[in-house]
Amino acid sequence: MDAPKTLIIGLGNPILGDDGVGWRVAEEVAKFISDQREVEVDCVSVGGLSLMERMTGFKRVILIDAIYTGQCAEGTVQRSDLSDLPDLTSGHSASAHDTSLRTALKVGRSMNVTLPDDEAVTIIAVEAKNVYDFTQELSAAVAAAVPQAVQSVLDALKN
Amino acid sequence: MQRITIDPITRLEGHGKIEIFLNDEGNVANTYFQIPELRGFERFCIGRPVEEMPLLTNRICGVCPEAHHMAAAKAVDAVYHVDPPAPAKKLRELLYSAFYCTDHTTHFYALGGPDFIMGPDAPVAERNILGVIHKVGLEVGGKVIQMRKYGHTVVEIIGGRKVHPCTSIPGGLTKGITEEQRKQIEEMGRFAIEFAQFSLKAFNDIVLGNKQYVDLILGDIYTHHTYYMGLVDENNKVNFYDGKVRVVDPDGKEFVKYAPKDYADNIAEHVEPWTYLKFPYLKKVGWKGLVDGKDSGIYMATPLSRLNASDGMATPLAQAEYEKFYKTLGGKPVHQRLAIHWARLVELLYAAERWMELATDPEITSPNFHTIPTEKPTEGVGIVEAPRGTLTHHYWTDERGVVTKVNLIVGTTNNYAPITMSIKKAADSLIKKGKVNEGLLNMVEMAFRAYDPCFGCATHSLPGQMPLEITIHAADGERVDVLKQYC
Repeated sequence: MDAPKTLIIGLGNPILGDDGVGWRVAEEVAKFISDQREVEVDCVSVGGLSLMERMTGFKRVILIDAIYTGQCAEGTVQRSDLSDLPDLTSGHSASAHDTSLRTALKVGRSMNVTLPDDEAVTIIAVEAKNVYDFTQELSAAVAAAVPQAVQSVLDALKN
Repeated sequence: MQRITIDPITRLEGHGKIEIFLNDEGNVANTYFQIPELRGFERFCIGRPVEEMPLLTNRICGVCPEAHHMAAAKAVDAVYHVDPPAPAKKLRELLYSAFYCTDHTTHFYALGGPDFIMGPDAPVAERNILGVIHKVGLEVGGKVIQMRKYGHTVVEIIGGRKVHPCTSIPGGLTKGITEEQRKQIEEMGRFAIEFAQFSLKAFNDIVLGNKQYVDLILGDIYTHHTYYMGLVDENNKVNFYDGKVRVVDPDGKEFVKYAPKDYADNIAEHVEPWTYLKFPYLKKVGWKGLVDGKDSGIYMATPLSRLNASDGMATPLAQAEYEKFYKTLGGKPVHQRLAIHWARLVELLYAAERWMELATDPEITSPNFHTIPTEKPTEGVGIVEAPRGTLTHHYWTDERGVVTKVNLIVGTTNNYAPITMSIKKAADSLIKKGKVNEGLLNMVEMAFRAYDPCFGCATHSLPGQMPLEITIHAADGERVDVLKQYC
């Protein structure tokens, strides 16, 4: 059997309030597409090199994560490609202890690892509010945005 | 008074910053380093079965979940007053050694190493793992990826899952390993040793072979005379998983050696009004402010601290490197913070050797990997060495084993005071009479990167960058300049 072609990843910390929204959306998406064998869904709490390693073997990836821009209302769902994000990736770090995802992907590709192009990494981001308090609950506006985010992922799957 | 703000980290918003206040002469008066704090973990845990803690705590932090899993596992053993059988302890330590290889590798090649391999003056755009690959060769990238893959694989075999292990329970583990898995782990361990030796050779050739770098390491700018903390075995050799916490004074003499359960007799926490995070210090020395010296209770807990606080490494190749380390740097203890990078590689070799020792231990495939707890749970402390410092977990439960209270002292917290002091020293040397040297950002960045601080919350934010920003305020508080780079 061929490897699944598309990987959907819920990113975040499931016990850190709105940061868990990526997991919640991915779990919902999984219910909709359980019959699609060419799509794989996973939830992880990693970034940078580890996230790149998780993408190994895939040419198309959809990431779902919380974001804080402070520019739009909580619960706003935005879609972008990794290549649309500010190109600051020559720098070190998405954290104090890792590289950025784009740098990690470049490293992987330079090693001939099969990985998606930046343009083939779609990000569905949900504007978050509370990401500093430990709780399994999403704040109301973010929870209300889950169905829309799920739809955005399903739309992204189609194109 | 001038005010300078350095914003080193944004997760999803801009918490965590460095503020530098200048005096009327335009020299540094004070620096304040604020770390973002995640709130409410204790409250989140209360009311849950304590055996869930090894699973819950590895979600505190996206950087070292394995360390939290192990500290929690040991704390939960202690809560249930159960001593896991030797094969269980060895399996946990084997997992932990493999994790160390992954973690130290990532730091050296992705973060700390580029400053030296590319040079501290290289453009920030080149001081990263891609720069290292371009300069040292493609084979390095392949080795780093292979090393990380093997480390993750061992964690998965023993821990049941990659990155976030889930097999530790009160009294041991839920499963052992087969002979086939053991052979696989042994094979990967052989690679880990070769990789660690390769890394030390690269450090030797590129860093120690360059007088400018050696001078930078040995210079005063990153030097502090503090106490040093690390976990040691019964022979006072470095151990990451088990043993007693040993603290040496700035002269390198043993100040105290305590069992994990006695941590609260030895460590206190100082509160400052300008930060949520507390500053741990040695209770029996006392808090004297953010100053070094024998009378100040500030201690450091890093790879360098572990080397300073021990009498050596428990494996032969790492011991030889340990001896070379002190011979080259002028004896024990070493106070220069940039030497942490080298110490980390000595530890990498130790972790790889320990991996091999345990993988070839006759007991490692024993089915005796769990002791069923029989006593009533009460409270317990578990301590391991996280890659970035001594990690303490303390849980209290009711007689059903339901959590009633939690106290954690995490790796980076230990180093909160020393990091703040290093930032101040870098600022002191580069800000004179109101003139800010353009190297300030780099030097501050290098200072805190040496400690490998873990702002555990920061691993998966979007867009996923870590801006370092200095805002300079004039004497009247007005902002006059902004320096910024992405690190």
